Amino acid sequence: MASTDASPSPAGARPLSPHLSVYRLTLTMLMSIAHRITGGALYVGTLLLAWFLIAASMDASAFAAVSGFLTSIIGRLILFGFSWALFHHALGGVRHAIWDAGYGLDKPLREWLTQGTLIGGFVLTIIVWSIGYAVR
Amino acid sequence: MIDDKASLRSPLARVRHLGSARSGAEENWLMRLTSAALIPLTVAFVWVMLSLLSKDYNGVRAVLSRPLPAIIVMLFVLTGLYHMQIGMRSIILDYVHGHAKEWALMANLFFAGALALACVYAVLRIGFV
Repeated sequence: MASTDASPSPAGARPLSPHLSVYRLTLTMLMSIAHRITGGALYVGTLLLAWFLIAASMDASAFAAVSGFLTSIIGRLILFGFSWALFHHALGGVRHAIWDAGYGLDKPLREWLTQGTLIGGFVLTIIVWSIGYAVR
Repeated sequence: MIDDKASLRSPLARVRHLGSARSGAEENWLMRLTSAALIPLTVAFVWVMLSLLSKDYNGVRAVLSRPLPAIIVMLFVLTGLYHMQIGMRSIILDYVHGHAKEWALMANLFFAGALALACVYAVLRIGFV
């Protein structure tokens, strides 16, 4: 005999435990999702590095195309974002390595690490771009 | 092999790969290993890229023809793509479900594999052709 249960599935009828929405938003939470987002951006951004390397391995006109794109305003904005994502993600990795090792989990140090890596990502980006504009 | 009598998980849960597949620790370790390698490689890669800024087509090729910059770029790309492939897999497993998950997992490997080969091929071509 067929079941006349109103619920779509047994799992659908079970109560769900409260998820992320029950917590107050903190900087450590935002930095955690930012780590994942910057990682995803770097993944896609690798296409740009591949285009650059392949063009450099081809002829001067192929290189001029990628060079023209990267030095345009949009290209520079993408490169700026890519470099920030790289530094932000790298410092986030260092922070997670420290936490994984069991250090810096207490309140003042934990917040200091989170704010330090957030600011550090921007500082490293500005430093590298300053060097870039100075040497070009 | 898993001892059926010792397991608390149902046979269905096991075939659906719910819970331990006995290989999670290795993935976790490889993520940390590549992370550690990528810190110095990122510094070196940024240094190589900065040295290319003032160069034209021939200048860029001259830099990337030298052993050290070429090895740095290839190591960065290979280590980075291996790291990214693991990371994207965990993103896919968290957010994509059903058959789309299987397609996404395949696309992830194809993307990382193709890009790794393309970048290494390009750097070797600059140096040797």
